[in-house]
Parts: sequence; C-alpha cells; structure tokens
Amino acid sequence: MTHERGISRRDFIIATSAAAGGMALTIFSLDAQSVGAASKVPELTPWIVIAADNTVTVRVPGPEAGTGGMTQIAMLVAEELQCAWEHVRTEPISFPRNTREADLYIKASGIWSTFAGGGHAPEIRATMLQAGASARERLRAAAAARWNVPVNEIEARESVLRHPGTSRSASYGEFAAQAARVQLPSEPTLKPETAWTVLRKQNPPRLHVRSVVDGSSMYGIDVRRPGMLYAALAQCPVHGGKLKSFDFEAIRRMPGVRGVAVIDPQEARIHLKKPAYWALTDVQSGIAVVADHYWQARKALEALPLQWDYGPGVEKRDTQHLYDALYARLNETPDTLQKDFGDAPKLIAEAGDEAVVATYLTPLSEHATLEPLNGTALVTKDKVELWHPAAMAAQAQLIAQEETGVAPENIEIHMPLIGGSFGRRVGGDDLRMVLAVAKKFPGTPIHVIWSREETFRQGRYRDLQAVRFAATLDKDGLPEALVAHVAGHTPVTLGLFNSIYANGCIPNVRIETSAVPMHVLTGQFRGPGYNSQCFFIESFIDECAARAGIDPLEYRLRIVSKWPDSGWTKCLREVAAHSRWGQKLPPRHAQGIAMGNWGMEDKPFTGTTIAAVATVEVTETGSLIVHAIDVAFDSGKVLNIDAVNAQLQGSTIFGLNLCLHEELHVKDGQIVEANFDSYKMLRMADIPPRINVHASALSGHDRYGGTGEVGVGVVGPAVANAIFRATARRIRAMPFGTDHAG
Amino acid sequence: MKATLQINGTSHTVEADESTPLLWVLRDHLGMTGTKFGCGIGQCGACTVHLDGAAVRSCLVPFNSATGLEVTTIEGLSQNASHVLQRAWMEDNVPQCGYCQAGMLMAAAALLREHPQPTDAEIDGAITNICRCGTYPRIRAAIHKAGKRLSAKE
Repeated sequence: MTHERGISRRDFIIATSAAAGGMALTIFSLDAQSVGAASKVPELTPWIVIAADNTVTVRVPGPEAGTGGMTQIAMLVAEELQCAWEHVRTEPISFPRNTREADLYIKASGIWSTFAGGGHAPEIRATMLQAGASARERLRAAAAARWNVPVNEIEARESVLRHPGTSRSASYGEFAAQAARVQLPSEPTLKPETAWTVLRKQNPPRLHVRSVVDGSSMYGIDVRRPGMLYAALAQCPVHGGKLKSFDFEAIRRMPGVRGVAVIDPQEARIHLKKPAYWALTDVQSGIAVVADHYWQARKALEALPLQWDYGPGVEKRDTQHLYDALYARLNETPDTLQKDFGDAPKLIAEAGDEAVVATYLTPLSEHATLEPLNGTALVTKDKVELWHPAAMAAQAQLIAQEETGVAPENIEIHMPLIGGSFGRRVGGDDLRMVLAVAKKFPGTPIHVIWSREETFRQGRYRDLQAVRFAATLDKDGLPEALVAHVAGHTPVTLGLFNSIYANGCIPNVRIETSAVPMHVLTGQFRGPGYNSQCFFIESFIDECAARAGIDPLEYRLRIVSKWPDSGWTKCLREVAAHSRWGQKLPPRHAQGIAMGNWGMEDKPFTGTTIAAVATVEVTETGSLIVHAIDVAFDSGKVLNIDAVNAQLQGSTIFGLNLCLHEELHVKDGQIVEANFDSYKMLRMADIPPRINVHASALSGHDRYGGTGEVGVGVVGPAVANAIFRATARRIRAMPFGTDHAG
Repeated sequence: MKATLQINGTSHTVEADESTPLLWVLRDHLGMTGTKFGCGIGQCGACTVHLDGAAVRSCLVPFNSATGLEVTTIEGLSQNASHVLQRAWMEDNVPQCGYCQAGMLMAAAALLREHPQPTDAEIDGAITNICRCGTYPRIRAAIHKAGKRLSAKE
C-alpha cells in the first residue's frame, strides 16, 4: 500500500496541449474538473471507482454550493463501503453516459439529486448506501476468492480487507480490479441505521474545505482552459428591452479585443418542457465583448457605445409604482382560489369592524451570491462542454440542449464549486447567456463574467409580494376564520402557505392569489414564497394574539395543539426554554416568537419545522439591537448535525439580512442598487452575539428534512414581533432597518 | 506596461494594461485564482491580499503600484495549509460555499499579526468582509481559537 494518508486531495492533473507557439500548461484541481478521470480504472458500480492507490472516487449527480451536499453524498457511500474518509474524493457523474445508458444515474437518484443540497432526499440516500454496500461486498468476495477462505470471514474496514484467521490483509485498492469483475448473487441488505458509524455519528471535514483554505479551490470563475477567451457581458438595463445598436469600431483597436457577440432573443431556439418549466430562462437581449483578459473585455465594454430600446418597462416603473400596483390588486377580485374550507368570508363579513385586518409587503431582493455570475462553455457543431457553476446539473443539460441544439449525449458537464446560489443558479438563465455568447465562437472556450453591477441589475429576484389578511377570533381568542389574498409578481411561488394555519388549525380558511405581471424578472430565492409568507402569517398571528390579549407563545401553543405532529409543540417549548421566554428583561428589551416549516406539503410529519425567538432592544434613540436569536428545529432526524447547524446558523443570518436591509429599488424601469455600497449586507460587527441552534426539539420521526431554507422564514417575523412588544409599533413591511425612532 | 512583482517570495514580470488591478493580474495573468473577485469596488473583501503584511483589497490596487512590495496571497499564506488560522478553519468546518473565505483568512491573518489574541471588538473592526452564507459566528470562533494557540506558543 503506497498511498500516503491525506495526499489524495492535494493531487493535481497537469494537462498539456499544443497551442499556437508552444505548449500551454493548465493545472486544474481534480475534484472540480475531472469528469471521468477515474474511468480508466474499472468501476465497482457506476457510482464508485477505487484506484490501486486506494483512492475512492464517488460520482455525484449534483454540485457543491455550500450546503455540504456533495460531502453528504460521499458520506452515504463511506457508511456502507467502510472506507477511510481521507481516501474519498468526488467527481461528477457523466451526463452523456447517463443519456446513453437509459438514464442510468438519474433514474436511480432522482432529478433533485442533481440539485446542490439535494443529498438528503430519500432516493439518493437509498441509492448511494446501496452502491457502497455493493462495492464492499464485491471487495470481500474478491479477497475471499484469492485467499480461498469463506467470504463471511472477511472483514472490510477503513479501506482494509482482513482475514483474521490467517492474518492476511490487503488494501481495498489492491483488490479493486478483481472486485470490479465480481458478480454478486444478489444485492446486499443495508445496515440498520442503529449500526451506522459515519452517518449521524461523524462530522468529517467537508470535502471542499481544504481547497478553500489553501486557495486551490476551483469555482466557476476560476476555470481556465487552453485557448480560453474572456467575455464581459451587458444586457438591457431595463429587463425586457432590446439592443438597438452598437459601434464596434470604437473599441476594435483596444488592447486584447477579439470581437463581440450579440445575443438576440429572436434567434430560433428549441423549447423543451421539463424540468425547465418552473424557471424563467428566456435569453435576454445583450452584447458581450470578448478579449484575451477579463479586464480588457470589461474596459472595452465600458467604452463600447450602446443604444437600447428599453421597451415598455421604462414607463412609470418606479418602486412605488410597483408597490401601488400590488396594493391596488388586493382590493380587486382575486385570480385564483388556492384553498377554501369552512365559511371564512361569511364569518369575517359578520364580524364587521371586529375583524382583525392587516396588509403586508415584502420587496424585491437580490441573491447577492458572493461569486458573481459567470460560466465557461466550449461549443462546437456537435458537442458542448460546460464548466458552469450550475446549481442543478440536469437543468444545465436541458438549457444547453435548448440553446445549442446539441444532443444530450454530447453535452459534457463539469461541476466547479459554486460560490453561493440561494436559488440564483438553479434555473440556468445565466448558463443560457454563456452559451449564447460561446456559440458565436465555436471551438474556443469562452469564459463569461458578469460584473457585480451586471449581476445585481440582471437578477432573478425574490418575488415582490403583498397580502391582505382578515381574521375573526373565537370565544377563546383563537383564530376562527382567516381570509388571505396574496398578490405577487409571478404566480409560481404563490399558494405555498407552508403553515398549519391553512391546513386545519384554523377551522375556516380561504386563500386566494393574484398575479401582477411586471417587467422586472424574478425567480427562485432561498425558501421561495415561504421567505415572504412566513413573515406575513407569523406577524399577523401575533396581531391576533395581541387582540386576544394572550401571550404570543401561549397563543401558538394552543393553535398547534390541534395539529397531529407534536414536533411543532416541541419546537415552541424548546426555543422558549432556551431563550428563557417570559424572563424579566431590562427596559426597552423584548422577545418575539415565530414558527414555520419548509417542505411540509400540507401534511404533518413532513419537511423541517422550526421555531425562533428574537431577543431585541430598541434604544431610547430608536436604534434596534438584536441581542440573540434562538432557533429550535425538528427535521425528524439528522445525518450530520454539524452541517445542519451550519445551515441553520447561516439561514438565520440570511433571514436577518432580508428583514433588516434588503430591498431593491426601481427607477425608470432599472434596478437602482448595483453593488455592496448601496445594497447593505450584514458584516461581522452586525451579527447578534448569540445565534443559538437547538437540536433538542428533534422528534426522531423517520425522515431527514432539509435544513437550508427553513431558517430564512422565521427570523423576520420573530424580530418584528419583538419590536412590537418593545415599542407597540407593528411592522408590516420588509425591510424594516435598525432605526425605530418616533 | 511591464512591472516586476514579488508574490509569495517569487519574482514575476507581468505585462498588462496600465489600469489593470492587481486582482486581475493575479487571476488572469499569473493563474493564481485563490484571490477572488467579488465586487470590484473594495466593499466585500473577497480579493484581500497582503502588501508588506498589511491587508488590502487587490481590486483597488493598480498592479504596478505593488512594485517593490511583498505581495502575499492565499496561496502563499503557508505551506500545506499549516497556518494556525487555516488549521482552525478546517477543524471547525468554517466555510459553507467558501468563496469569501480566502479574503476572510487573509484579513484575519493580518489581524493576528497585529493582535495575536484579538478581542471581539478588534475582530469586528478588522473583519469587514462580506460572507453571504453567514459563517460569521464560526469565523469569529476560529479566530479566537487560533489566537489562543498563538498565545500559548509564545
């Protein structure tokens, strides 16, 4: 056994290729770049390859965007394979092979396994555990055959095969080639969860962390290919507008400039249906300058005279205009009935002025992923190669097919690391722009970079939404009827009331929605719909509690007592205990509470439930200080508590950003904020000193709920409800900032 | 224009347009992609490097103005990720997406040089970089951990 522990992740491939004038040397890191690099070594299953040096390569269907999803998938294999973690690395599955071999991978792992962070879904879990077990049994069988001993006497642990009776041992790597030829009579049975030693037990270093801290990490923006050219992109500042004219002569002689690519939405394109239907990925009119270096491309783009036809978006399209349109829509007849049981409208009409009525709004927000949008593609007549930070690989394959007409078996997808997605890189509109540029330079790898300003102004923002609520209370003060009319920019994320209120805990409920089309483009945003609607409903329920004169925790406990999933009660009780709800606080201090669930599909015992308490102070001069945020959650069970803590801590801060500061303004149809000088983000000094994630509410119910989104929803209402209790002023719109004077 | 830069102890002669920021010379001309592009206006800190030991945002430094100064990037922070901060970062699984972390580490390394055991207030003052994933609490804890180890050694 020659493998040195810990070395595998530091290995690099050095690829040379003859370029004009000599040899171009490119170095790229294995985990990001090497589709099928392990393919010369025989595979134990389509998912697992073990090299002679003991390196275990796990083929993953989705990328790493920060959730630890890629590591999670490798851990599933490690659990059953019983290999040493330091030998594990990952490479992407081959999408061309998947297509050629009748959906070999995706059929087994599910389409959402190609999504960054999809590593906890039941299909991928079962598939990867089985692959690990299958590979382990092949290794044992190969060793038994060689040593001529019964297979049940062979131990497989920490990448070593042992036969204690004869004191023989060998590394996995030594038997990998023989094991690949073993036919198992049947697939092995999986260990019971109680026998797990990795999952739920260990917290190994996430696979990309070493490369992150030593600077060798390979994000989309770090991709370098032989002969690659850089492109700087400009799209119409008013969404939906068109490029009218440009003057290439003005920049032709600038240093490094190689050409421009005009992106024309009128060009013929294929339109496939699935699963792209939920994403707005239409190509936008624009132009890219291509040059030897990015800085040259960017300077030339800045110097390039451009004329735009802004289109209808430019007329009377300021922020207030958009908000007024939403508020006005709430007064009109709704489009769509989402939910209706009991007789809520009648009860509310009868209550007259006694009804609790309120209107809420959440603004457009930008994902602001720290890695600006970018991507690299090599397009030839019959082949496409992508090095794109796509957060959903299957979607990337479809977009590439649509934009280039190349068959899916000829679309190769590399998976560089993703410098944050939060929904932004799921749909693939960014990839479409990259391909629209790259296909104008067939045979040359083109690396397109959006400036930060372009990233901000060409977003697919968090949906703009408003709601009007009306409720009546029963004799005990609890909600008896609720009517909600939600108006939003796109209908896609409406009707997602992930709450128990709309699923039986209020006896009479009517939820209606209306779409208010606007020219500004929106899209998936961490916890789509929920990130607005949890603020709406949890603030409004607080209003009902205040009207009833009941403590907000007690009020919620009474409501959730009607719900069969006791995880909700447990989350409330645990977060209350840990935050010492009801404690005597200094003057001007107060606590607020909120609860929610992401992924619950209108049923108990689904998704992840959460309750949050914010402890705040509003000073004499009106400054808001958030001293602590406590959250307690129930995802059923967890596979890796450290990774879950990271997600909940991070999503809590994400939620705090949303509710305090994040708002995009529109002026003359254009997005105003373009960089971090005008779009405030929380920094170290702004973070509450105590952000506490409590696992004590975990019910142990048999599910592994996702934890990336759920924290985002509850923070805003918890803080707003705390401000109400400190100041008696009710907050009905995000963002509400830190100035609460007057 | 041409300039000779000292980067991580090695001399590099670079020819680039005069206005090119150090960030893009590192990334595109020298292939050192560990230093990240985040905003281009010195706000986010993803591009933080050291010039003679001081943390600066390389997107705002014209490359030729680094002539005569020692440039240190994340690739040169240590051999084999052995810097006390890098070790704490790995032990605590600090990064999520990781994109901001090179800049965070370089800012933290400059801080520790000045304040080997920094207070929370000193961390707040020195770490003004943006992390969209919200790893701030882990970054703070890892800096404290590294600081304690540094002080224990002295």
